[in-house]
Amino acid sequence: MTEFLTAAVGLILTLLALGLVSILRGPGDADRMMAAQLIGTAGIAVLLLLGTVTGVRAAVDVALILALLATFASIAFVKKGLSRLESDGVGSAEGK
Amino acid sequence: MNLARDIMTIACVSTGAFFFLAGTVGLLRFPDTLTRLHALTKADNLGLGFVVLGLLPQAEGLRDGLKLISIWMFALLAGATVSQLIARAVRRSGAR
Amino acid sequence: MSGSSGQRNVPAGTITRGWWSSVASRAVGFGCLWLVLAGAQVGDVPAAAVAIAVATWTSLYLLEPGSSRRSLPAIARLASLFLYHSVVAGIDVAGRALNPRLPLRPGFVAYPTRLPRGVRQNVFTTLTSLLPGTVPAGEENGQIIYHCLDVTQPVLADLAAEEAALIRALYND
Repeated sequence: MTEFLTAAVGLILTLLALGLVSILRGPGDADRMMAAQLIGTAGIAVLLLLGTVTGVRAAVDVALILALLATFASIAFVKKGLSRLESDGVGSAEGK
Repeated sequence: MNLARDIMTIACVSTGAFFFLAGTVGLLRFPDTLTRLHALTKADNLGLGFVVLGLLPQAEGLRDGLKLISIWMFALLAGATVSQLIARAVRRSGAR
Repeated sequence: MSGSSGQRNVPAGTITRGWWSSVASRAVGFGCLWLVLAGAQVGDVPAAAVAIAVATWTSLYLLEPGSSRRSLPAIARLASLFLYHSVVAGIDVAGRALNPRLPLRPGFVAYPTRLPRGVRQNVFTTLTSLLPGTVPAGEENGQIIYHCLDVTQPVLADLAAEEAALIRALYND
């Protein structure tokens, strides 16, 4: 069971890294905003799996905090970044 | 009994990893910001849901299980809220 | 949700009582959440009391207790509909992403909603952001704009069904 869960952690971490690369490459700020979303789901899954594999129960608390921080980061970005996006004008946020 | 639990864990965590895979593939292949947002929020939320479902049989006691479920419910709600905020920001910034 | 605020006809004098009962039910809810997240330890009681008080105050500030009747079976049906839709949506997106032909017909669809602006419409957009192939992307002239992965799907009919379920569950006044 431990081996299987460790393999799942490796797989999801790889997918998380791939997703982050594609997001950071992405054309606009809105794409980068999604990085927090990605970490907020895949990262939590990895932490929960690790908590079960290693028996470190604090990992679950870390996952909870990560979920909170990812949400607030996204909301802050939308609230704060929106005016900047708008002043950038049409098209530049999407880049095409 | 233990075997049945382990089988459920393996099945659910594998399904969850599959949805993370699909989410990352979508992130890499979908053509623009809003479609990538669909891939990220929907597939990854479901992936996290299945990972949590798979970890439930391994949880020690009722409280750990409830904690996992509440983290998942929080992530689901946060994803649903943040995705529409990002979509609104993208649309207002002129990306069509 | 607040289970004890389900009186049929609320006379004017019992409004404060209804308010207190929703305060109490919310405090009990946050208390249960504390027990799940932090566990039951005697040393934690002061911190728990402060956290519950602040959480209850914040929830009252952000979301005033409503007067509409809430039916538990309808809420349960709404929750199961929500879960079912999020599963269908995930499978839908996964199928499109893994399909070699990448079947996407993205576009915007405007949905004329019956719900008033504010909390109710926000609850609705949050619920529907997990429907298969739709993400709410703003509001224009009383219509909610949805971005769809596939505009040929019966998006408007799905949204109408979801809205009817929401009204039955929470806003049946």
